[in-house]
Formats: sequence, C-alpha cells, structure tokens
Amino acid sequence: MQLLLQYLSSGIATGCTFALVATGFVAIYRVTRVVNFAQGAFAVIGGMAAYALLGRGLPHGAAELVAVGLAATAGLLVGLVAIGRRGSPPLASLIITLGIGIGSYAVLILIFGDQPVSYDGLPGSAAIGGVTMPLQFLLVVAVTAATFALLAAFFNRTYLGRALTACSSNPHAARLVGIDTTRMGLVSFALGGALGGLAGVLLTPLQPVSFNSDVGIAINGFAAAVFGGILRPVTALVGALVLGVAEALVAGYSKASYESGVALVLMLALMVWQASRRAPVEEAAA
Amino acid sequence: MRDGTGPLLDVGDLVVRYGQATALDGVSLRVDRGEMVALVGPNGAGKTTLLNTVCGLLPVAGGDCAVRGRVAQVPEGRQLFADMTVDDNLRLGAWTVRDRDPSRIYDLFPQLATMRRRQAGTLSGGEQQMVAVGRALMARPDLLAVDELSLGLAPMIVDSLAEHLRRLNEESGMAVLLVEQNARLALELCPRAYVLETGRIVASGPSGELSRSAAVQAAYLGGAITPSPSEGEGRGGGF
Amino acid sequence: MTVRGRRLGVWIGAAVAVGTLLLPIALNDSQLTVYVFIGLATMVVAGLSLLMGFAGQVSLGQGAFYAIGAYTAALLAKLLGVPPVLALALATAATAAVAVVVGLPLLRLRGHYLAFATLAFQLIVLSVIGEARDLTGGDIGLPGVPTLSIGPLALEGQYRTFIFAYIVWALAALALLLNRNLVRSRPGRALRALATSEPGALAAGVAVGRFKLQVFALSAAYAGLAGGVYAFFLSYIAPGSFPVLLSIQFLIMATVGGLGSISGALVGATVITLMVQLLAAVGTLPGMPLHAPAVFSYAVYGLVLVLILLLLPQGLVPAVQARLGARRAVSAVEASAGEAA
Repeated sequence: MQLLLQYLSSGIATGCTFALVATGFVAIYRVTRVVNFAQGAFAVIGGMAAYALLGRGLPHGAAELVAVGLAATAGLLVGLVAIGRRGSPPLASLIITLGIGIGSYAVLILIFGDQPVSYDGLPGSAAIGGVTMPLQFLLVVAVTAATFALLAAFFNRTYLGRALTACSSNPHAARLVGIDTTRMGLVSFALGGALGGLAGVLLTPLQPVSFNSDVGIAINGFAAAVFGGILRPVTALVGALVLGVAEALVAGYSKASYESGVALVLMLALMVWQASRRAPVEEAAA
Repeated sequence: MRDGTGPLLDVGDLVVRYGQATALDGVSLRVDRGEMVALVGPNGAGKTTLLNTVCGLLPVAGGDCAVRGRVAQVPEGRQLFADMTVDDNLRLGAWTVRDRDPSRIYDLFPQLATMRRRQAGTLSGGEQQMVAVGRALMARPDLLAVDELSLGLAPMIVDSLAEHLRRLNEESGMAVLLVEQNARLALELCPRAYVLETGRIVASGPSGELSRSAAVQAAYLGGAITPSPSEGEGRGGGF
Repeated sequence: MTVRGRRLGVWIGAAVAVGTLLLPIALNDSQLTVYVFIGLATMVVAGLSLLMGFAGQVSLGQGAFYAIGAYTAALLAKLLGVPPVLALALATAATAAVAVVVGLPLLRLRGHYLAFATLAFQLIVLSVIGEARDLTGGDIGLPGVPTLSIGPLALEGQYRTFIFAYIVWALAALALLLNRNLVRSRPGRALRALATSEPGALAAGVAVGRFKLQVFALSAAYAGLAGGVYAFFLSYIAPGSFPVLLSIQFLIMATVGGLGSISGALVGATVITLMVQLLAAVGTLPGMPLHAPAVFSYAVYGLVLVLILLLLPQGLVPAVQARLGARRAVSAVEASAGEAA
C-alpha cells in the first residue's frame, strides 16, 4: 500500500508537468491550429537554462523565472518562423516546428554537451497520509494548480485572453472585429513557450534532461492534450494526471522500459477512438 | 482615416481574385456619408467578397477600394463567437476603439440585456442577429456593412431589424451598405442600389427606378414594389 | 507542359538514367556504399513523396516500415533459410500488410494527429524489436544475415558492393517508373484531386479512404523492400539502425526534392545523403570537438527543413521545372497554401 501511494504521488507530480506541456500545445493549437512539435524543446530549454543559471549563482526562484522567460522568448521566435508569414498552411507550420526542434539539438549540445543535467529541487521531504514524498512533488503540484488558476483568470477575465479565445472560436469573425490573428498566434506561441519552460523547470529536479529529452516530453504532453481534443486544458490536465500515474505504476510494478510505451499506446488508442467518433470529411474540411 | 470630403466608400474598377478565379471583375460603387445603399444579386455574385475586401480582409488585385472612415461588418450567418457570452461578443466588437462599454447596445436592443451571460450560440436566430449587429456597432463605425440580414429569419424580425437600421441611419448619420439576396427588402429600405452579378455591376441607380426595371423585376422581384420614400430627394448626389 | 519542356524532361531523364547506370564503374568501394544508400533512400522517399504529395498525409514513421522490412527479410533468411529473393518479396508484402492494419484506424486522423501517430508507431516498433530479444537479438542486433543470392549464385567477394549498386539502381528505377505510371493513371488523377481538396474529391465520387490506405500501403511496401535489401547488404541490423532521425531524414529528402514530384525523390535522396556524408567528413576532421558531427547534422537538418519550407515549399525539382516553364502537379502543401492565403 505504501508502495502504491509512493507511485501515485510520483505519478501525480510528473503528471502535473505533462499537464503544463499539454496546456502549451493547447494554447498554441487553439489560436493557430498548429501542432507545435517544438513544445518538448521548450521544456528542455527551460530546464537546462535553469540549470545553467543556478550554476552561475543565481538564487532559486530567480533562476527558474528567468529560465521560463527564456523559454517564452524561444516560443515567440518559433512562432515568428512558423506562422509569421501570413497564409502558411498548418501542416507546413508543423514541419517547420519539427525542424526548429531538431535545430535546437545543435544549440543545446553546443552549450550543454550531450549529457543529461539536473539540479536539486526543493530540499527535504514531508509525510502526507503516511507517505514520505519529496517536497519538490508538492511544489510541482502547487505551481501547476496556481498556473491553471492564473490561466483561467487570464482567458476568462482579461480582454487579451478573450481575444485569444475569440481567435480560437471564430478566426474569421475575429479578423472582422479587427483582431490581428497572426499577432494573437505569436502571443499564444510565447505562452506555449512559457508553459513548456515551466514544465521543464519543475521536471528537471525529478528527471534529468538532455538535449533530446524533448521527444519523450512532447509525446507525454501531446498524449494528454489529445484527451481534450487539443482544445480543452482542463481535460488535458485530467489526461495528464492519468498518464503520469499510469506510467508510474507500470514502471513500478513491471519493467521500467515499458514506461515510455504507456504514453505511446494510450495516445494512439485515444486518437483512434476520437477519430472514429467524428466524420472524416469534417476533419479535413475544418 | 477620417476625411470629411469625398465619399465614405469609393470603389473603382476593383478586381479581386481567389487563386486563378476572378471573383470581382472591375466593380465600381460608391457610398456617401449618411447614405443607405443596397447591393443586391444572386448567390455567388461576389457580394461577400466585396464586403470582405472593403473590410481589408482580401488583397486587391486591380483597381482601388478607398475607405474614408471606419467600417464594421455584420457578416453573413452572424459569425458570432458561439462559445462566448453575449456580453463578451459585444465587448470584442470594440477591439479597435477605446470604449468597451456595451450599455448603449443594450439600450438599443433591450432583449439582449436579459441574456448578457448566455452563450451566444444558444440564442435564437433573431437574437443572434441582434448580437451581430450590436457587435459591429460597438466599433462606432461610419459605415455599417450588413451581409444577408434576412437569411434564415422570420419576416417580422427582419422588419424590426431593418427599422433599427433605418433609425440608426437617421439619428446618427451612420451609412449603411446593405447586401441582400432579398431584393425587395433592400430596395424598400435603401434609396439607392447596385446589382451585382458574377463579379460585375450590371445595374445601378435609385431604388425606385431599379425596382421598375423589367429585368430587375424578372430576376429579383416577384412583382412591383413600392419605391423607397426618400428616393426622389437626390441624397448624396445620386450616382 | 510545353512541348519543349517535355522534350527537355525526356532528355534529362535519359541522361540521368545513363549517367547513374555508368557511375558505379568509376566509384571505389566506399563511394559505392554511398551510392547504395542513395538508391535505398530513393525507394523509401519515392513512397513518402507519393504519400505526402498526393495523399496529403504526413508520416514521421517510414523508418518503421524500413525496419519491419529489414527484420522480416533478415529473420526469414537467417532463421528459416528462406531464399533471399523470396524473403525480400515476403518482407515487402508483410510490410504492406502491417501498413494496412495500422493505416485503417490511423488514416482517419488529420495531418498533425497522423504525424504524431506515425512517430509513436515507430517508437513502438523499435521498442517491440528491442524487447523480443530471443527473436531479434534485441538491442544488440541481428548479425549474420545471409547475403543476397539467387540459387547457388551468392553475392560475395570484391564485386559485391558493385553488384548491389546495380540491384539498387534497378529497384529505384522501378519505383520511380511505377510512381510515374500511377500518377498518370486514373487513380493517380483522383489522388491529385485528393491533394487539392478532400471534400471536393469526395464529392466527385473518389473513394478517399480507400485511396489513402492504398497509397499508405504502397509507400510502406517501397520502404519495406528497401529495408530488406539494406539487411542483406549490411548483413547486420539493430534497432539503432532505424532511429526516429532516419524517418526525419526521409521527410527532409522528400520535402527538399519536392513532394509529389517523381524525380524529386531521387534529387532529395541524393542531395541529403551527400550532405550527410559531407557533414560527417567535416565533423570528424582532426581538431574538431567530439560533438561536432552531431551538432552539424542537427543544425543542418533543422535549417534545411525550415528554409525549404519558407523559401521553396514546393521543393527543388518543381522549382526548377517552373523555371523551365513546365506545368506541374500541385502538391498538397501548396494547394492548401492557396486555400489559406
């Protein structure tokens, strides 16, 4: 029972980071209809930047914040290249983000080498419900919850947030009303970058990251996002937690190498199930 | 750009293309300040293309399209933000202006005031049309371009909306460009009209004249209609 | 296409055919190996280009079919003693069959879902190969694959690579010819309709789902056959030979050459393979840091992909053809660009 709770808590923590990555996918997809293959790279950039800044003596908190800012900037740059030119079809933008993701490997290896890096999270542990868990877990959950609350407030209460939702709801009408949908797309890319970076910053103390960790992170995030049709962040959160826990259980009770397979299989099953519920033509025409 | 002189909307020999196809082939029309002008024509004539070009959404391939003031469009099929509230829909209409307060819209359409928090997609057709008009009005436009106002709405509701437009035009001097397949409605409401077919203006002039023309009657009207009351006053210098 | 353009095309095609046919005579063994890789890549990319250019489906998992073909052929020949040529045929069929099974559910997905799905598919395939240690040798790999042979005639000795080069030439030429005939046939014209507008194609009575699946299976067959030849050529395969990066290389080759362009497959495969060789050579020069080859590769892959899509989205061959005044089939990417603009 102890063991089960251990796995649950660890799964929830990693699940929260997946949720942040997933929300990054959702933020970008809703406004631009582009699936950002560089989303995992934002997490890696965030984690590795935090590592570098901490190494230079920046205190905890500041280092992570700057790292998230850097990831947001990276997001903006990716957006500029991917959608900056009006009329880029979403599929071409997808391949462009893929190219940027691969290109980021070169930059990361140059700066950090090819070995995984990590840093210490919140030191100490706490006993909750009879289970001892690192305080980092609690930090991850708290930050994720706060982020979701902030996002909800942003999208529902601020004018900019409503404009972003409008772009997602009806891009033509948004343009009619005078909203620059390309600029909104860039905002969403920056937001996606920040969310990815935040995920990376929280994840790195738990799992060392290296230049090519982005594939695994992106797959987990995307699998969670698919849960909500890449449109609903709260559903993605649920999916992410389920995924995180499932992986933790699989890793704990059977072979560790199967852990990555869980996300893959779940994601495929989800996508196929969702596709079978929709008429194929309406997808292509959308 | 708000220029006191010259027509509000001045379209000259406008050419607009979709890829290889030509949607507008040398269209010329004019709307002066404070005018109500109708643009009638069948489906696929290019009316919506013209409106979208006027609103700056489509590139001009030839000729010119000069707008001397603010244009807001009430699009065909309403095109609301269906999953957002009525209030949000209205507020978003004010994206380009500073005043985001929708109170005057609620004064104009009192029924909407009771539905401010409802999701726009759950409203009836007539109510949605009110929201669409209201959203456009939030931008305080000099020219209101209305695309297919009557589509899918009961005649009573259409008449009520048309009356609102007429009153807005009289009281605030806001110009209206009414694009309609329902020629009878358009010619009754607007003193001057153009007829657009397959990308070209095939007829234009005072509505009374057009409605008496045999060709227009045959194509767009079931029979004769009563000409608009202001038809003979020569507002805006005619065409 | 103008008459002049078409005649020019024929001349160029003939020149390329003769040139590539004569080329192996002038190459040394390691250069011949590169030649073989280019040929194999051409086969895979021919299929991918068809899939992306005409069926409008993005696949990040052609490497998976390459791997399935390689392992099937290798295991049939090594464990069951199946004659290599027959093993190749069976491997090709098996890969196509897998594609049909996998494609039935997956092809209903839209472009970006399919991209992730094919990526996931490849990762799963690699995982399975790695886990089935007893059968496939797991991560260590499968050595000792018998060489290609017809009856008693086995490909060995100093002319081995030389002859493989011609085998690959023949198969690649076959693939390109098959593509050309497919594109010009009635199903091919239907495919082109598909690329420009799926709802339109549906309205015109084109059996959209069935065509997509057929093209998917065909592209898998090309990749499977190439994989089988690869296995016989190297005599040793491992999951590490088929990383996700390989699928991305194929994607880059297809995009650079020109999606939906038949000769584009050859051009893309050649350009990128040579570039990879160049990067490896430069990266391992004395004095270069350890990471250099990897950094160069990733940087160039990323740059090429982004630049091609931004500057020459239709690819090299169609761009050149446009210069020559030839009319070309509109690929899916461009077609949707026309709609989006």
